[in-house]
Amino acid sequence: MGKSKSDINRRQFLKNGAVAVVALGAVGVGANYLKKLNIENAKTLLRPPGAVNEAEFIYACIKCGLCVQICPIDAIKLATISDGLSYGTPYIDPRKQACDFSCDAMQCIETCPTSALNFIPFKTAGEEAYVAYNKANPTPGPDYNPIAIQAKAMKANTKMGLAVINHKTCLARNGESFKGVPREEGFEGIYRSPNPKRKERKASPVNDHAFDRELCDLCVTECPIGETAIIMEEKIRNNGQSRWRPMVLEGCTGCGVCVMVCPSTPDTIIIEKLETA
Amino acid sequence: MIKIKKLQPLPAKRREEMPNSKLGITFKEWKANKPNKNKWRNKRWGVLLFFNFLFWASFAFHIGILEGSLSGSRFVGIYLMDPYNALQELFIASKTGYFAMLTTNFFIGFFVILMFYFLMGGRTFCSWLCPYHFLAENAEKLHNYLVKKKKIKEHSYNIGIRYIFWVGFLLLAFFTQTLVFETINPVGIISRAIIYGPGLLMFWVVALLLFEIVYSKRFWCRYVCPIGLTYSALKKVSPVGVEFDLSKCGHCKDCQDVCLVPHELWFVKRGEATKEIHATGADCTNCGLCVDICYGDALKLKIKGFDKIM
Repeated sequence: MGKSKSDINRRQFLKNGAVAVVALGAVGVGANYLKKLNIENAKTLLRPPGAVNEAEFIYACIKCGLCVQICPIDAIKLATISDGLSYGTPYIDPRKQACDFSCDAMQCIETCPTSALNFIPFKTAGEEAYVAYNKANPTPGPDYNPIAIQAKAMKANTKMGLAVINHKTCLARNGESFKGVPREEGFEGIYRSPNPKRKERKASPVNDHAFDRELCDLCVTECPIGETAIIMEEKIRNNGQSRWRPMVLEGCTGCGVCVMVCPSTPDTIIIEKLETA
Repeated sequence: MIKIKKLQPLPAKRREEMPNSKLGITFKEWKANKPNKNKWRNKRWGVLLFFNFLFWASFAFHIGILEGSLSGSRFVGIYLMDPYNALQELFIASKTGYFAMLTTNFFIGFFVILMFYFLMGGRTFCSWLCPYHFLAENAEKLHNYLVKKKKIKEHSYNIGIRYIFWVGFLLLAFFTQTLVFETINPVGIISRAIIYGPGLLMFWVVALLLFEIVYSKRFWCRYVCPIGLTYSALKKVSPVGVEFDLSKCGHCKDCQDVCLVPHELWFVKRGEATKEIHATGADCTNCGLCVDICYGDALKLKIKGFDKIM
């Protein structure tokens, strides 16, 4: 019996198919290995606001980059191949450019088509604040503005991480004053100052703001969240001397503006990712 | 075993019945009648380069017309989703139970892209939009040249292994709970490289192209790419495609030489066609290369049933 054409075809399919299955298996094993590595690796990657757990984030993110494109201050970047399996996923380097809530509306979360940045908690928080505000103000006065309240509630709901301050290098802790612009020459990071004296609608370069403080407290005054996130705390020592130091509170969103404006080198403040289940 | 009843081929045309003979001219004269114009190819490359440029420009100049990249984007506010990515997400969600990521925008994007490529002829995506296709198409020319010069040998595999890859990558996504395919997908890598700047992963794309040039023609597109196969499924039911008119065919098979998926033009061989009018199958990318080269206009890009409506 001679070999028919379909016989040869079937043979070729089985042969090539076996190779394909082996190749797939290799890719799968490789991906699984990288994924395990990645759980360690991704701890250093600060995800944009609203990011879900790393375990879910790694597949929910389809690496489209819509969050990168919508960010008005270009805080979000895409990870490179050096971050392994996190390649192409978004992260924020707060020392270079922090998220300062310039958009006011969590645009990166809203734009994410796969809810790797999950909007639902923010929506709920905003709606609750809106309802509460309307209850408190049954008759709208001239300064009736629920939108600002809503935006504030949404911002406060962000939990990217928690600022951690190294008190050894902190200027305030060492009782040092600060005068001048916060960062080195050529630094391009921008933010919107929350200081009412210079209230601006738009974000401006960090180094456009010159400060003159007897005791450095930039991280406290420039925080977009305010006194629920970081305060200056006085500590009286045994010998009766008082020392001031910045204290991070529960309201910290991990946005990283304090990291960006901190004038000390080496980096005094870092954002630590929260350990969530 | 179910046996699909095959149509018997029509009797082969005699020489006198050939369109060139009917006109009373020789085959050479007939061929010379229509110089090879690159009408469809130019249009296609224009569209391909334009949309990839638009992706880049939307971000670079903040125009916001076509945001995102080829794995997921927003065209003037309408979300679009890579269908294979979407399938992987659905698969993973079914295991982990994290369904929050399947947002309304996700389903809008998935549905819109399926509808669009159903109307546009499935694999149209490949030759009209895919940046990897553009590189691979030119690599294929180089490959053909090298084969012709006998510098290298052609290596071909069974085309059926792409079904294994299609299922395999879905299973891998399911078991590892990561978008495994998206990590090695040259389409996404090139698209992101165009928009956000190239990274080291471009070497993977270069390696793939080199492999295709020196070893196996169009290896990725033919045997692996599950995105293309997903679009193939749409093409099966799509009304758009290349139509072949037997009565105008001179069986020179020039179209098969230029075709990117020659097995789809099986009916141009003398004595093979089973019907007077044939339509190309699921793998046809509607690139129009055969339409450009056909001397007797036997091949045309058409919308099925459109003539009847008009």
